[in-house]
Amino acid sequence: MFDTIIDPTVGAPGDAERGRTALATRPADLAGLRLGLLVNTKRNAADFLEEVSGLLADRYGVITTLTRTKPSIVHPAPPEMLDELRGESDVVVVGVGDCGSCSASAVADGLQLEAAGIPAAVICSDAFRVSADAMASLQGTPGYEYVTTAHPVASLSRDGVRERAEQALPEIVSMLTRHAVAVAS
Amino acid sequence: MSIDQAQLDQLKQTLQADDYRLDVDVQGDSADVAIVAGPDACEECLVPKPLMQSMLAPVLGVQPESIRLVYPTDPA
Repeated sequence: MFDTIIDPTVGAPGDAERGRTALATRPADLAGLRLGLLVNTKRNAADFLEEVSGLLADRYGVITTLTRTKPSIVHPAPPEMLDELRGESDVVVVGVGDCGSCSASAVADGLQLEAAGIPAAVICSDAFRVSADAMASLQGTPGYEYVTTAHPVASLSRDGVRERAEQALPEIVSMLTRHAVAVAS
Repeated sequence: MSIDQAQLDQLKQTLQADDYRLDVDVQGDSADVAIVAGPDACEECLVPKPLMQSMLAPVLGVQPESIRLVYPTDPA
């Protein structure tokens, strides 16, 4: 599925040739599922996803099986990284899109995972909705839903990160388990 | 088409969050756009040019290929 990487800048909004990305089928609940974390190198992104991972383990019985850090915040994850996530995860959390390029590439990652049949929850900070939404449109999937947290994330203390992860958790769980109508084909 | 000022302001705010400024000059059906870096701007935080052009086009009311876009990293 990931033999070719999606070039995030190819195509136009609503590109008919690419078509809309259908969401992966969601599990009814998360208990016992394998969680993958796709992290970018923005400050606090790893801590944020680590907190999310801990909360999902404690409250929903999710087991984190794989954490991968993207080599670039600008580009989507390389195919081999997505292949690993696909092979070793049942659901994936992607983040944190706390800048223009990383929010856009996080959305591209989420769409690639969905296309491969892996439910994904992408986390972006709210200041970058414009670039995240633009990427979704460019990928032929306007209205793609993602989780937002207040900007900035990079300047938060660890306690602040923990608090944000806690706040985002219900939406993350909802995104991984429900079929978001706005994204369906 | 004319400039969608509300969307333009939103785009400017988005760029400002990464410490970038957006300068726009629309002339007829083309536009000159310069993105200027502030002291705290991170070079990698700008989206690739084609994506930026696709974001700007509906806001400025011109085609993406009619936007001459200058990034801070472009050679002078």
